[in-house]
Amino acid sequence: MKKNFNSTLSIIALLGLGFLFLLPFFWMVSTSLKPLNETMKLPPQWLPSSPQWHNYPDAMKAMGPFWLYTRNSLVLAFLNVVGTVFSSALVAYGFSRLDWRGRDGVFFVLLATMMIPFPVVMVPIYGLFRALGWIGTFQPLWVPAFLAGAFNVFLLRQFFLTIPRDLSEAARIDGCSELRIFWQIILPLAKPALLTVALFQFMATWNDFLGPLIFLARENQYTLALGLQALQGTISGTPWHHLMAASTLVLLPVLVLFFLTQRTFIRGIATTGLK
Amino acid sequence: MTAGERKSLLMGVAFISPWILGFLAFNLYPLLASVWYSLCDYSVLSQPVFLGTQNYVDLWRDPVFWKALQNTVVFAAVAIPLSTFLSIGLAVLLNQPIAGQGIYRTIFFLPSLVPAISLAILWQWMLNGPMGLVNNLIRPILDFLNLWLHTQLKTPDWLNDPNFALWGLILTGLWGTGQAVVIYLAGLQDVPAELYEAAELDGTSAWQRFIHITLPMLSPVIFFNVLMSIIGALQTFAVPYILTNGGDGPGRSLLFLATYIYQNAFDYWNMGYASALALCLFLLIIGLSLITVRYGERKVHYSGK
Amino acid sequence: MAKVLIENLYKIYPGEKGRPEKVAVDNANFEIQDREFMVLVGPSGCGKTTTLRMIAGLEEITRGAIYIDGKKINEIPPKDRDIAMVFQNYALYPHMSVFRNMAFGLELRGVPKDEIRHRVDSAAKTLGLLEPDNLLARKPKALSGGQRQRVALGRAIVRNPKAFLFDEPLSNLDAKMRVETRTEISKLHRKLNSTMIYVTHDQTEAMTMADRIVVMRYGKVQQIAAPLELYHQPANLFVAGFIGSPPMNFFTGTLSASRQGTLAFIEKVPAGQTPFRCALSAETSRRLSSRQDRELILGLRPEHLQPNSLTSGVTLEATVEVVEPMGAETFVYLRTGGHTCICRTTQIEFMDLEGKKLNLGPDLSRAVFFDPQTEAAIPV
Repeated sequence: MKKNFNSTLSIIALLGLGFLFLLPFFWMVSTSLKPLNETMKLPPQWLPSSPQWHNYPDAMKAMGPFWLYTRNSLVLAFLNVVGTVFSSALVAYGFSRLDWRGRDGVFFVLLATMMIPFPVVMVPIYGLFRALGWIGTFQPLWVPAFLAGAFNVFLLRQFFLTIPRDLSEAARIDGCSELRIFWQIILPLAKPALLTVALFQFMATWNDFLGPLIFLARENQYTLALGLQALQGTISGTPWHHLMAASTLVLLPVLVLFFLTQRTFIRGIATTGLK
Repeated sequence: MTAGERKSLLMGVAFISPWILGFLAFNLYPLLASVWYSLCDYSVLSQPVFLGTQNYVDLWRDPVFWKALQNTVVFAAVAIPLSTFLSIGLAVLLNQPIAGQGIYRTIFFLPSLVPAISLAILWQWMLNGPMGLVNNLIRPILDFLNLWLHTQLKTPDWLNDPNFALWGLILTGLWGTGQAVVIYLAGLQDVPAELYEAAELDGTSAWQRFIHITLPMLSPVIFFNVLMSIIGALQTFAVPYILTNGGDGPGRSLLFLATYIYQNAFDYWNMGYASALALCLFLLIIGLSLITVRYGERKVHYSGK
Repeated sequence: MAKVLIENLYKIYPGEKGRPEKVAVDNANFEIQDREFMVLVGPSGCGKTTTLRMIAGLEEITRGAIYIDGKKINEIPPKDRDIAMVFQNYALYPHMSVFRNMAFGLELRGVPKDEIRHRVDSAAKTLGLLEPDNLLARKPKALSGGQRQRVALGRAIVRNPKAFLFDEPLSNLDAKMRVETRTEISKLHRKLNSTMIYVTHDQTEAMTMADRIVVMRYGKVQQIAAPLELYHQPANLFVAGFIGSPPMNFFTGTLSASRQGTLAFIEKVPAGQTPFRCALSAETSRRLSSRQDRELILGLRPEHLQPNSLTSGVTLEATVEVVEPMGAETFVYLRTGGHTCICRTTQIEFMDLEGKKLNLGPDLSRAVFFDPQTEAAIPV
């Protein structure tokens, strides 16, 4: 009896909370399909009387070169994913599959760098890129990805440690160089972990706001995030249905990617907290 | 060092060399340069001019800095416990043998996927004074209370009211807490079922089992998450920046240290002062992390491996 | 085919964080003949695997040298040593098919495709990987433990190396597979006629497969001998106790002169217990005469302690504690003079003897004597 009561309560709580968590999504999409006057109604109207699909092309037009922004975001995401996956895997290999003096001490330094957030170091980094003449170009937004990220190195190292040492040794006897062991043995076996890192990096780049805000100058270089912020800032009177449509468009690729890779994604997130 | 050891050291360093470069360029150099810039008048456009401790003196006397510091600390102090409780609670609910567990997990996780820009614009709309959905959900409750208790409660104009703007941001943050839910749920599923069965045979109540088994077994995960949340919360920038259309909120109620660093560096081109602020933020993060680690070490239960 | 020479070999791990350094291999010296099946055996941590890994080149040599066919290989990387190794956990590449697993080493050496195909096929045939099912296209995950083991063997065979190294290759198989694979490896050795170095902690494996055995303990080589020599003439107490199952019985006692002018062994027992005493033959007495009135240890294999034996005049009175019938023979655990000894017999059924007294007759001509201080065997 008591058990049934408890699980009924849990279901009610989950249903209620689930409803609350979904509500903003619903509201975003619902608003994005309303005519302007219906967005302003009090009390609010739950559903548009007839969905205004043209709000989406309208919002894209209002943002300016929407497809250029999308291309910029995609190019940056691609470069960041490729750079991070390869460099982090290489570094993680050095921290997990090779024995060398001082390794664990250096790894501790790597972990410690996770405590240095970007806002703390952005001023000198800006100065550095300025000196290189990179401000107003894409380089500041993708070159660093090729120099490995601490968190991704940590993630991959944990995974590499679970691959039996025997395999490397068998490969060594078979005639592999260290680089070939990395490339032909460890990387193929680490595919799930590499995919996780790739997904995380895609999200991080796609979602990044502060980086493009600081380093990009011209409008034709804007990423979707910056383009959307410009839309929010420039248009007086804030047409909410356009903003919601544009926000949905920026979110959409992320959602699609999530639903395509849900299992890897959730497993990846779950392992990040459980060293 | 033998020849073999030297060889493996070289090999190791070769493999981690991308990180070494990144560490030097994007961690070590900026930290050292920040120290130097913080002692200078520096606008990026010209060479830094040594000022001594002037930036720090200014900072000490700058009420805006104190406001930013206060907002940052209050935000972290409120948002982290709230989101921790919420996400543990959701994870515990999800851990029940309930049909559709995966669907609920996805529902709670989805908001954490929303890019900062979409998230902030959506919540700007959700928290809109008259037309926002949040107020329209609260209003009937307030009306009900007003009727019965003869109070004069009114729905707040969240983002335009200095007393409520921070709470609006916290609400936004709570919606995006799903990542932690997934992590806690994985932690809960790692707790061996025998422990609960043994405790049940010992005649404990569900609450006692939660306190004496679930929490201790989950404590390493909680510890790790809280540490990461602290580091994350203290560098909050994008969401409040966008919520306020690139500003800092009514009465600077959404001004955070990261925002103030950004303003000084890229609005006023006062890089020296921004560097002094950045070092303060860094010290704050180090300090709070160390306290958490110290405190955590005593409280966290690591089951033997 | 190759001769492997181990010369003054040391492996010392530096002590970390205040701990003293660890000597894993302590001055090992031995030679493995061409085409010999050499087994390194000893308890875990005795340095046998470390020695093997140094031969393979997976572990750096601290001091000393290893020669293959007279060529010093200390600095030569594993791939150029022309050795193949079979690992305890098989170490098959999980993402490669059985064929690729076997072919990989050859590909890296630039062996032509047809040649690879030919070598893999013939190895697969030898190992039964083609019949009844052709396993070449499968991934290791789809194989049973025994099949994986054979693929691991195949990977070594196709290389046609100078020497095969085996690191406890049978320890992950169940008892039945282990016996089968054991004979298979022995057959393979005869067929390939190549040098094989085999590490195990299991003395039965060592005894059944080896041409010669190296017994190691605490990094030191204890004895190098053919299996039966090791069994009958152990060099010291450790080897005597380690080789043979059930283990050798040991009795500590003194030698005193008997009335016949020969020596008698008298066991040292706690007060109140009856000691085991026996007279030694004139021959043995003469050889041990220098040890009169001194303490020593007498070792007797369980099969040299027979119940109700009439072959020798001496008897040992003991109480039966546990009887383990193995079918063809029976192990009887007995209590005597304050310790337990084991008797291995085919004579009679003992099932109902537990708790009863029994007279045992030792075959003293097979006894081995040890010096209690040095633990070394006393040459008789």
